Amino acid sequence: MNKDAAFDAVIVGAGVAGALIAKRLTDAGLTVLVLEAGPGTSRGLDDYTRHLERFYAASAKSPESPWPPAVGAPQPDTTALRNNDGYFVQRGPNPYGSSYTRLWGGSTLHWLGVSLRMLPEDFRMRSLHGVGRDWPLDYTALAPYYERAERAIGVSADVADQSYLGVTFPDGYDYPMRRVPPSYADRVLGAAVDGMPITLGDEEFAIRVRSYPAARNSIPRGDYRPAGAVDIRAGDGSSIPPLQGERCQGNTSCTPICPVQAKYHAGKTLAQADLRFLTVRVQAVASKILVDPASGAVQGIEYKRYDDPEAASHTTRVATGRTYILAAHAVENAKLMLASGLEGPRGHVGRTLMDHPALYAWGLAPLDVGAYRGPQSTSGIEELRGGAFRARHAAFRFDVGNDGWRASTGAPDTAVSDAVMTRNLFGPALRAQLGATLPRHVRLSLAVEQLPDPDNRVSIDPGYLDPLGNPRPVIDYRIDDYTLAGMAAASDVARAVFRRAGVTDCTDPSKGSWFPSVFYRGREFHYHGMGHFAGTHAMGADPAGSVVDADQRAWEHRNLFLVGSGSFPTMGTSNPTLTLAALALRTADRLVESLLP
Amino acid sequence: MSAAKTGDASRLDQFLAFSAEVTAFGVVELQGTGQAEAYLQTVDDVVGAALVDELLVLHAKAPRATGNEGRAARGAHLRRTIFGDGKLGPVARNIVKLWYSGVWYELPGAWTETYGPAPQDVTFVVSPSSYVEGLLWTAIGAHPAGAKAPGYGSWAAPPRIPRFADDPVSPPSAEPVDGTVDAERVPA
Repeated sequence: MNKDAAFDAVIVGAGVAGALIAKRLTDAGLTVLVLEAGPGTSRGLDDYTRHLERFYAASAKSPESPWPPAVGAPQPDTTALRNNDGYFVQRGPNPYGSSYTRLWGGSTLHWLGVSLRMLPEDFRMRSLHGVGRDWPLDYTALAPYYERAERAIGVSADVADQSYLGVTFPDGYDYPMRRVPPSYADRVLGAAVDGMPITLGDEEFAIRVRSYPAARNSIPRGDYRPAGAVDIRAGDGSSIPPLQGERCQGNTSCTPICPVQAKYHAGKTLAQADLRFLTVRVQAVASKILVDPASGAVQGIEYKRYDDPEAASHTTRVATGRTYILAAHAVENAKLMLASGLEGPRGHVGRTLMDHPALYAWGLAPLDVGAYRGPQSTSGIEELRGGAFRARHAAFRFDVGNDGWRASTGAPDTAVSDAVMTRNLFGPALRAQLGATLPRHVRLSLAVEQLPDPDNRVSIDPGYLDPLGNPRPVIDYRIDDYTLAGMAAASDVARAVFRRAGVTDCTDPSKGSWFPSVFYRGREFHYHGMGHFAGTHAMGADPAGSVVDADQRAWEHRNLFLVGSGSFPTMGTSNPTLTLAALALRTADRLVESLLP
Repeated sequence: MSAAKTGDASRLDQFLAFSAEVTAFGVVELQGTGQAEAYLQTVDDVVGAALVDELLVLHAKAPRATGNEGRAARGAHLRRTIFGDGKLGPVARNIVKLWYSGVWYELPGAWTETYGPAPQDVTFVVSPSSYVEGLLWTAIGAHPAGAKAPGYGSWAAPPRIPRFADDPVSPPSAEPVDGTVDAERVPA
């Protein structure tokens, strides 16, 4: 086994958390090695275009369709969920519905870009609502890092829209870019719904359709320069100035691939890092953390390097550094720890796995709202993310879609098939029918909070290995009554919203795309994952019940950091990327302090 | 009328004439997609050129349409002889779907049992550009997801659904929420 030269820091994973830390450290003159399990085919514009064409040619345009896995770095795929024949070994009782991508750039290559902050109350669920657990830091401590994260990943929003439910900003602060213009559909729905009263328990809320912060390039404020498409030369690794992507063009394809890279992905941060101090090794799958049994200190990371993404042949090497950062994803971090025999204090590694199980509601508006145009969504309904009801059931937020029934029924393709095959239309009658109905398609996503449950977990089993001999994640997952009651409340609110807006409610999962179902008090809900993996190496104020401290440093291995949404003690209702980015920047500050002479 | 190869201009013209009528897009619009040859080739490859010729010949024999009555008679003729036919109907419907979405859909099992085998009959996207050139996007006033982006801020405006010849109903026109132009629609 060959040992590489030592670096100041070895980072596992070229996704958003790893990239932000790599940039901060190299900017400080520290040497960094990044080990990325997947290929580097998102680095050059030509290769990126091949991913785009792969999406065009895919029959099933799933989130994973542009981003095929390498043999040596398999990944979950939502199309494998129904038959449970994918990378995850799902033991249920409920299938875990989310996926991620193992590539240079990580899952930010196909995220939607929603960049909400967590609410202040989200950090204190145990103290305020008597459920879940408190974070070891609060909103005030994280707020400066939220600001830095918003600049680092490039978030478009207006502060005037974002001060609600206790979220505050310092005087004079605004996002680096103006909000992405709300869609015509947002304005139509907002005109009908804004101010609508909703009662949950004995609380009353006035909801509205509100622009959400998005990591999509818009009109910059001040001296901010939006980061466009990445094009890194194969030879010297230098970047070619972007020819596109400095503004969102409205491709309606944030997920699974932004064709112009106007939406943030982690490669942008890697491209901005100081290349003199950065080494990125792709097709290098971390397989074992080597630990001094006496001190607990990490001595190296063993990894398997493959030359051919289509083959399992590989060589094994060891990377060494002064400090080690696992930024491989909530599931992969936990898997790597467990594969190294590191189960954390009281065996907590891999436990309290969470997601935002989400429902679709879809309907037909009374007039054209211009569906299938613009970023996939631009607004949400946020008022029900917080409140005293959280003592009893989950909070939730709505995403107001701009892409019609695509996610819920497979439209517009399925609408064409239906019109031709069932309605027996062709010619002018067909064209008129499509033109009269599809622009009226309305879709809401109802994303519901989930609490940490130690029995929801990632584990490994020597009986389930991938082609490189690394363990496949074994998933135990159950959606509890707290979340189910939140689903029930969210469904009722969606129905009321449609009624108020005169939208014909077409929500009928039997006519939609297949999703797993759960039952609650005689009601059946079909849920999908939001890709919001969290909680597998949660942070805490002391080692009882947590794996890392507030700096994301492992309690039992003082030169080891586990970063990403795996560190979240609870999830709240915000999409996790902005918060994990803020945490990564905070950890990066600690690393610079400790590593600089 | 005799069968001809895909490369034959008159056969392609017949295919375009049929396609224009059953999609409600003009021949020039269909040619503008650049997909005509690939689609004819696809249908030939899956069901065989002889069957395609049979369909095109029948279409060419349909009575000329003049006025509303003529159009109705012609429509009824097409429905009876082609779309209502057990052999030709599923193929004709697949040609419509091909133009609208760029996808060849696997034919109904009953068709393959009776008229097959058709070893290439699986659902597939003809090519990356066939997806991008799907007619449905124009029909609904939108653009294919991931291509032909309409530009920064365009989505804030009401949709424009293009009118077309022989439109049987006027699609509901979008009414703006207010008369003002969104201040955010500043060109980048």
